[in-house]
Amino acid sequence: MIKIFTQETLLRYVYNELPAKEQQEVEQALLHDADLATTCADLLQAQRTLNGLRTAPSARSTEAILQYARSFMRKN
Amino acid sequence: METMQPSDSALISFYIAGQESAFAQLLERHKARVFTTIQLIVRNPDVAEDLLQDTFIKAIHTMQSGRYNEEGKFSSWICRIAHNLAIDCFRREKRSPLVSLDTTSHTFNSLSLADEGAEAVLTREESHARLRDLIQQLPAAQKEVLVMRHYGDMSFQEIADATGVSINTALGRMRYALINLRKKIAAQPVFYDQNLYPRDAAPVRVQRIAG
Repeated sequence: MIKIFTQETLLRYVYNELPAKEQQEVEQALLHDADLATTCADLLQAQRTLNGLRTAPSARSTEAILQYARSFMRKN
Repeated sequence: METMQPSDSALISFYIAGQESAFAQLLERHKARVFTTIQLIVRNPDVAEDLLQDTFIKAIHTMQSGRYNEEGKFSSWICRIAHNLAIDCFRREKRSPLVSLDTTSHTFNSLSLADEGAEAVLTREESHARLRDLIQQLPAAQKEVLVMRHYGDMSFQEIADATGVSINTALGRMRYALINLRKKIAAQPVFYDQNLYPRDAAPVRVQRIAG
């Protein structure tokens, strides 16, 4: 029997939010359904692209936060 | 051999008990995610730096006063604080969506020039700046889900709870956010480069299935 997966289910799959059983079902389907695999690959590609946007703050901000954390502990 | 990293929960306990280095670890672990969440909302690196500090100061006060609730993930909690502060700031300043984001001051913060050429780094940063602009153009509800899920490390259920919608609505918004981003990229061929949407998707598929 061919199981149809919604886009929402695939989204939860690529973000690792599916229960184990459903995750296995999707993975089984991916082996046999090229369209599903392509859709899934597109989502993973978008995910990877968005992950690339992550940027670090300046060292100055980080140090200011650490300084505050230290001084707050000493005051209390 | 890989060493075991203490959980966020353990680090919080150590910090409350007086261990300064535990907070430093916590900050190191989450600062990029929190900063990116803020930056995608306020679009001004200087304001984002200030709000990052405000976010962690708020967290310090909550943890040290014993009001930190152990339920839920620290990463989601801190990103929600950041998100709320950034939204408040955005509303106060009412910034125009057309204001361009100056990413040049951050180009060298998170990238190593030893690993790739300076030109490649700049090209990639330009592509990322364009993508950030496209994210700004998304409808607010879609942008909110995308930022919370991607940079706030919140699950779709947590986002649904935080925004007062069903999980299916949150998933739908995320789906449309990705569809709209793709459309915007496709509509502007200059954006369609290897840095934004590499054309060869096959290796990723294989990698995830294997995982």
